[in-house]
Amino acid sequence: MVTDNIRITLLACVAGVCLAPLWAQEETDTLRQVVVTGTGTEHLLKYAPVQTEVISRKTIESYGGRSLEDILGGLTASFAFNEGDMGSQMQLNGLGNSYILVLIDGKRIHGDVGGENDLSLIDPQDIERIEIVKGAQSALYGSDAMAGVVNIITRKHQSEGLFLDNATRYGSYNDARQHNTVAWSLGKVTSTTNFQLQHTDGWRNTSQEYAEAQVLTDSKNMTVSKFTSWQLKERLTYTPMEKLELYAEGMYNHKSIMRPRNGTHPSCDVYTYDLMYRNANASAGGKWKINKTDALTLDVDWNKHAYFYEYTATTLTDGYDPNGNFTLYFPYFAGQRNLQSDQQRVIAQLKGTFSLPQKNLLTAGAEYRYDYLNAPMRTENGSASDWTSAVYAQDEFTLLPWLYLTGGLRLCVNENFGVRLTPKLSAMFPVGKFRIRAGWGQGFKTPTTKELYYRYLHVMGSSTYYNMGNTDLKAQTSDYLSASLEYRGERLTMSVTAYRNKLHNMIALVNVPVSEIPPNVTGEYGGDGSGEITARKYENMEDARTWGVDVNLTYTPVKNLTLGGNYTYLDTKVHQYNSTKDRLVEAVIDGMAHHKWNAYATWEHQFHRSYRLGLNLSTRGSSRRYYENDGDGKPFQLWRLNTTHDLGRRDKPLTYRLEAGVDNIFNYVDRTMHPYHLGTNSAGTTVYVSFRIQFRKGKRLTIINTKNNETDEED
Amino acid sequence: MKKIKFFALLAGMAMAMGLTSACSDDDDVTTNNWTTYQNAVDSQVQAAKKHDKAILLVAFGSTWQMAFDAFDATKATYEQEFGDDYDIYLSFSSAICINRAAAGENTTPRNYYAPNFWLHAFGRSEYNEILVQSLQVIPGEEFNRVINYIKDFANNYLGDLDDEYLSQVTLKLGSPLLTSAEGDGNDVDEAAAALYSYCQAQVNNGDVVAFMGHGNPDNYDSYKANVRYTELEESLQRLYSKFYVGTVDMPDNYKNNVYDRMQADGVTDGTVQLYPLMSIAGDHAHNDLAGEGSDYWDEEDPDSEENSWYEYFSHMGYTAEPNLTGLLSIPAILDIWMQHTHEAVNSEGLEDYYHSMFPEAD
Repeated sequence: MVTDNIRITLLACVAGVCLAPLWAQEETDTLRQVVVTGTGTEHLLKYAPVQTEVISRKTIESYGGRSLEDILGGLTASFAFNEGDMGSQMQLNGLGNSYILVLIDGKRIHGDVGGENDLSLIDPQDIERIEIVKGAQSALYGSDAMAGVVNIITRKHQSEGLFLDNATRYGSYNDARQHNTVAWSLGKVTSTTNFQLQHTDGWRNTSQEYAEAQVLTDSKNMTVSKFTSWQLKERLTYTPMEKLELYAEGMYNHKSIMRPRNGTHPSCDVYTYDLMYRNANASAGGKWKINKTDALTLDVDWNKHAYFYEYTATTLTDGYDPNGNFTLYFPYFAGQRNLQSDQQRVIAQLKGTFSLPQKNLLTAGAEYRYDYLNAPMRTENGSASDWTSAVYAQDEFTLLPWLYLTGGLRLCVNENFGVRLTPKLSAMFPVGKFRIRAGWGQGFKTPTTKELYYRYLHVMGSSTYYNMGNTDLKAQTSDYLSASLEYRGERLTMSVTAYRNKLHNMIALVNVPVSEIPPNVTGEYGGDGSGEITARKYENMEDARTWGVDVNLTYTPVKNLTLGGNYTYLDTKVHQYNSTKDRLVEAVIDGMAHHKWNAYATWEHQFHRSYRLGLNLSTRGSSRRYYENDGDGKPFQLWRLNTTHDLGRRDKPLTYRLEAGVDNIFNYVDRTMHPYHLGTNSAGTTVYVSFRIQFRKGKRLTIINTKNNETDEED
Repeated sequence: MKKIKFFALLAGMAMAMGLTSACSDDDDVTTNNWTTYQNAVDSQVQAAKKHDKAILLVAFGSTWQMAFDAFDATKATYEQEFGDDYDIYLSFSSAICINRAAAGENTTPRNYYAPNFWLHAFGRSEYNEILVQSLQVIPGEEFNRVINYIKDFANNYLGDLDDEYLSQVTLKLGSPLLTSAEGDGNDVDEAAAALYSYCQAQVNNGDVVAFMGHGNPDNYDSYKANVRYTELEESLQRLYSKFYVGTVDMPDNYKNNVYDRMQADGVTDGTVQLYPLMSIAGDHAHNDLAGEGSDYWDEEDPDSEENSWYEYFSHMGYTAEPNLTGLLSIPAILDIWMQHTHEAVNSEGLEDYYHSMFPEAD
């Protein structure tokens, strides 16, 4: 009760100050913010033709997020997460991972397990800003971003000389994060080497589990699994002449997810393998700046995402006996690994930006993408492949002094699903400090190789599923409409966006009769009543629709105090043919919550030229999350306090930053028993401390924003 | 200087490529695994070997504690009955059940090895007689697999057993619960009598007694499996008219088909006693048969596969009462399985695999 009162008081404070009258006109950082995601060309955020949400590094640092999930979940209301065994179950305005295009500096991250991106590939300390464009509004990044694009812009070393950066964060549940960067520039060569480590011991919010037709009270299943992920990246750039920049990049990532080894119930908490991932990337390319506005870029990108079982006990599984015949009982022993899938991808992109007469800015390009899936025991033929190519053109023009238009066309050609043209159109009307934007974009997403060919036995606690790809799938299409009103003053920024996204032939994993499991691929579907398996297959839904309203607000009532808040309303509806019921059924998209919100207050003060204090109080919450099976997730509201302490003078080579905070201040824990859904998997109150040290020796360079002729300093 | 930079760039690219090529799949599993695993099973058999004859009980398997208890009790009963002459072993055919039963901490690990490894170990230990007893209910797909393991063993499919030994070893097969359906004392009639006796009190009350079997994906090899459910119902109804036998997976014999037959027989109300017709009462019995609440009832689609028998019959005008006892735990039913074992013991051994698979065939 007391905590409820405190919560209400805090919320009232945040809300009250947000509604306070506007004061003096002082330029804020948001006015200088440059974005690139919507059009692929640089724009000041206030002039961006496509509605773009930005989370700046300053906001991220004030918030003190430990991971990308933490940052997106805490600083926007549009995202929802469940960190699970297999990656991050991410949703953007109701649509899941496979509809969200996650880019790092404009390049797609690669690989999924069960359709879930592994966001631990992204080092939160390395983020310069995050840009979010919702819906399939951009012609540049493919039409498969039906929910939207999340573009992680990383920090670039733009200085002559040496830059060293080390950040160490430690928190409850042995949550350790390590970030190291060594960057140097010598003449025309720049090198950036980055190492990051992420680890948590995981936690268990409840030891209750419904299994064996009773509530077991000593389940060892975790709410969030223990994991360790480390990554090494190298980027080399070479500038042989002023207008030409060449680069080569490489990355290797290793991640292990550990499951309980002390289980006592073979029906639900006894496991015989952990999960292990190996990701790698190599890319090369360059940019030729023809003149102030025109440029050509070429990128060739290879990615690999390999997924293994790492056995912790003797395990029989599908394989080949010594005679080379298929067997259900090939033995593996503790310490051995078994490849489940290896997804490889090559993307080649050529893009040109050209200014044309009559204030037209043309962006045109071509893209070729080849996907290869090697899954010896999980596909009928051991492997599968698919290619897609696309050409696109986008024109930004000022039709009238008060009307900025961006039109785009993307033509996709897929090996199996033919040709499709998807148009995009955005318009912006600036009226004083107001912007009215409208956008329309069609999407086209062909089934992935996994959705087509992959099949596997999925054992999750007490549930056993056989998931099947479906070669009869049709491509998905979407139709996205949005309208927004934005006010961007010096102290107050506010936007209201309404959208509607209609998907046709949406692909989802749905229950089908067990008889659809192909013969002889598993011995687990028979049974004499002791075990039960659920057969699931990727199917096209009849239709799906999401619609909602997003409200974003940032307000700086006095210097050094920033208030912000986001609210989103969402509704979804899908129609799908249920083959076990033999009829069309109506449902919501799993994980949907009608209302989500967050708010924060950040105060900073320079007490001394060598000490600057920052305080950030934030809250986030969600109404009930709906699921078709295994119960709904409870509503929740969490609070967090982060403090930052900048030590040392900014004009000196060495700077230090200490961060310390308390997450989930009021110790809210959702203790819903396994395997039912949680509203939040927060562990309750946790504390953390982080120390960052940076060394910079050399001359700083500046980034020139060509289009808007604005200067944006690196730091 | 230019050269240095160029080489630096090259070195960087090489490093990037090196990083990525270094992560090629190190699938370090070799065929040695098979041998190592087989050796572990061999050791178990060598340690347990007391006689020169072995009985291998083969079940699908489970991960439930109560199922482990039922299998342990079955094995103990077999040891009592046949232990003077035979060593008794128990095998699961589900890999997941084998894996999970053997792992875990603070729980009794159970090594229910797959049938092929047990048989191979018996061969290595040179048992003179090997009797495989199926704990399946009907001679369906799973029973086929049991037969195939015996065939593979007899044919020395890995080529590492002693052919001379294989030419002399006696192989015997104990058939599933409902194997024969014709002639005096056939399995179906015997099982019907045992179930009738087990449900005597409920029969005396005039209750309906409905059994839920699993069902089999009938195909060319196992076309005589699902028909056993129908034959059992007919046999039971000769003893008491309100017996019914339906399934989870057999086409045209789901709960709604049972209901239709009850309606056609004029059984429109009263108490329906629900029983699993499965060796143990696991997931299917607790969910498909006895599941209670909104998760097991869809008003719009009463016939839905996801609706439980309990909810279905409760909503169709009856009083439903689940009885969660697996067949292995009904002594008179276990006696039939053991009778099959006795028949196999007394047989001369397998000669013709076709007839071992379909004992009624001419």
